[in-house]
Amino acid sequence: MDLLQRFTHGEIDAFETLVHQFQGDIYAWTVRIVRDPCVAEDLTVETLWRIYRARHQFRSDGNFGAWARRIATNLAIDHLRRNRPEQSFAAEPAGVLRPDPLVQGEIHERIQQAFRRLPAKLQAAATLALVEELPYGEIASALGTSVGAAKVRVFRAVRILRKRLSQAGIRPE
Amino acid sequence: MKEHEDKYMSEHNDREIREALKQSFPPVNTELRRDVWPDILRKLDARQVGVPWYDWALVGLSAVMFLAFPRLALLFAYHL
Repeated sequence: MDLLQRFTHGEIDAFETLVHQFQGDIYAWTVRIVRDPCVAEDLTVETLWRIYRARHQFRSDGNFGAWARRIATNLAIDHLRRNRPEQSFAAEPAGVLRPDPLVQGEIHERIQQAFRRLPAKLQAAATLALVEELPYGEIASALGTSVGAAKVRVFRAVRILRKRLSQAGIRPE
Repeated sequence: MKEHEDKYMSEHNDREIREALKQSFPPVNTELRRDVWPDILRKLDARQVGVPWYDWALVGLSAVMFLAFPRLALLFAYHL
């Protein structure tokens, strides 16, 4: 019996091997979405725990890495949803991303705020596509959507973000 | 022509947003700092000690039955 079959039968040794094999990949994926190492560690544990509990649903001839990544993505999106800031920021005189470091720091903070207020699914897709610049195929597989749907999410995220930044008086250049 | 301009503007704007985001979100360290297996083991152990919900439901149901019909206890004892 191979490793994945032993895992689906609930063998702890097989699961331990898989944890050691995939924990790094799950963490790396999660931290790219949530951007917080401590939260990503907790979510990695939760992802592996969910994987163990859902072992009967896994087909032993399937792609374990892709399955694990999808579970990790769902948990990361849940986290973003739960921690999404509600308050909006007041409009201020127009700022352009440039020289003065102090002003720049504040503008970056406002961009982060605006980004974190995006719906969780859009935020995750946009982080992976625009900040991490990962291929859409990889993003779509982790989100459990088609490549087209992943692109639509990123497009919507950009449109909302642009609108909110312009309301806040920020003009990226 | 208009379509071409719109596409150019859209790509230009996307590039601006992309750059702004990349500047606002510094790269994260993707290296896991510790082995999480001990945490998983703790969760597994905690789960093994726990009593499943249907056992609690059975205990609750029995208690309600004995309170509502005390004579059932005698019948139950007789069958034991």
